[in-house]
Amino acid sequence: MRTLFIKLLLALSLFGAVSASASDAHGAHEAPAVEQKAYESQSIGHLLANFAKSTGVYAILFPNPDEMSALGKPMSDFHKGWGRVIMILVAFVLFYLAIAKGFEPLLLLPIGFGGLLSNIPVADIAGPHGFLGVIYQAGLANELFPIIIFMGVGAMTDFGPLLSNPKTALLGGAAQFGIFGTLVGAVALSQYTDLFDFTLQQASAISIIGGADGPTSIYIATKLAPELLGAIAVASYSYMALVPIIQPPIMKALTNAKERKIKMTTLRHVSRMEKLIFPIMVLVLAILVLPDSTPLIGAFAFGNFLKESGVVERLSDTLQNALINIVTIFLGLGVGSKLAADQFLVADTLAILALGLVAFSVGTAAGVIMAKIMNLFPGTKINPLIGSAGVSAVPMAARVSNKVGMEYDRNNMLLMHAMGPNVAGVIGSAVAAGVMISIFA
Amino acid sequence: MEVNLVAEGLKFMMLGMGIVFLFLTLMIFSMNVMSKIIHRYFPEPQAAESGKSAPAAADKLKKVAAIAAAIHHHNTK
Repeated sequence: MRTLFIKLLLALSLFGAVSASASDAHGAHEAPAVEQKAYESQSIGHLLANFAKSTGVYAILFPNPDEMSALGKPMSDFHKGWGRVIMILVAFVLFYLAIAKGFEPLLLLPIGFGGLLSNIPVADIAGPHGFLGVIYQAGLANELFPIIIFMGVGAMTDFGPLLSNPKTALLGGAAQFGIFGTLVGAVALSQYTDLFDFTLQQASAISIIGGADGPTSIYIATKLAPELLGAIAVASYSYMALVPIIQPPIMKALTNAKERKIKMTTLRHVSRMEKLIFPIMVLVLAILVLPDSTPLIGAFAFGNFLKESGVVERLSDTLQNALINIVTIFLGLGVGSKLAADQFLVADTLAILALGLVAFSVGTAAGVIMAKIMNLFPGTKINPLIGSAGVSAVPMAARVSNKVGMEYDRNNMLLMHAMGPNVAGVIGSAVAAGVMISIFA
Repeated sequence: MEVNLVAEGLKFMMLGMGIVFLFLTLMIFSMNVMSKIIHRYFPEPQAAESGKSAPAAADKLKKVAAIAAAIHHHNTK
């Protein structure tokens, strides 16, 4: 016992000596840090004048001609001065929408505040050394944060309704028409009119808003058109929040009273084994058909597999709560850093907002029409109202289907039936994103 | 050389929608096959389910019979 103690003491002192000599060597080699500028005596008037020049008021009224944007490019005086004031007001509009109207507050608040901070003059918070710039580089420039969000979404998703009625997955596919239809529209407008001038990459990144999938939109935007990220993310999350307003008129216009009252048969029981194998099966299909989609689908499958395994409750809980919350904060702030005036106050932003709305509406309509087409074939009928849930805003779109259905028949519960196309829409938009990546790879 | 953007866009659309539907169709097919296999070889949860609901149904039938008998008894008294 005593010898063991002595040995331990000896080992510790040896370790201490080694580490001490190592730090000595390190210290000896260390060059002095950046040389401090020698301070020279200044008169009080001089000090005051210099201070006045470092205030925000001065920076806005008399923009510094040498100042560069966060991307290191020259900016116009408007973007340095009043443009920033306008963007700070835009941030306040986002706060209003999030707090008073309840539009996606989890994301619009961090995005809005990031936008506010990134438009502060002098401090350069969104620049490469500002903390927003660092957050952007750490998780958005390399597409890490949207992937982690996808893990959390996977852990929150229940594939039971889809497994019990697999053919509703086709509705989730049809809704992706919003993406590709808008892509064609955007490039047609770029080619034949002078309104705007989007490249194929930019048009693809904009049209993915039609998938109604925030993380996927951000993922594709950072890959194909990082200069449009701010506008695309804001458009995407705004329209997802507006699902209950945008979708019902489209759904009602495309269906008649009889179709809206179609009752759907109760869902069969899905065994635990089916739910456990499903994420692996989807991942294997993605590997075989489209490996470019596996970053998104793989993360999604991982989150879902942890949940359905039932043996790692703690990990699944972390993905669904702590981790997704942390990453949501950083994702929002990082996106907000792209709301700097010189990147957002451009004519393209209006075009992105308009095209995003079109993409979203076309996706909704395509899902409803697909359900009507499927009803032309023999077999159990589908209520076309669940087609609109093919856009992947989970679970908002499914809730809207349920609500509109109840307006026409108070006993017609469509929520669970609409969850099938809804989660298929998440997979469908990840596949559509994979196709775009494969094209531009 | 000028690229016709619209033609490219239409090609993307055909490819994209084609792959999305191909993927989802394969997924539906695999889901159906998987559930058939699982129901044939691992039917436990299903059995547990029907085991639970069967006594409930039997109880209900007993109750209905008892009520019918009571009504009959009451009417014929």
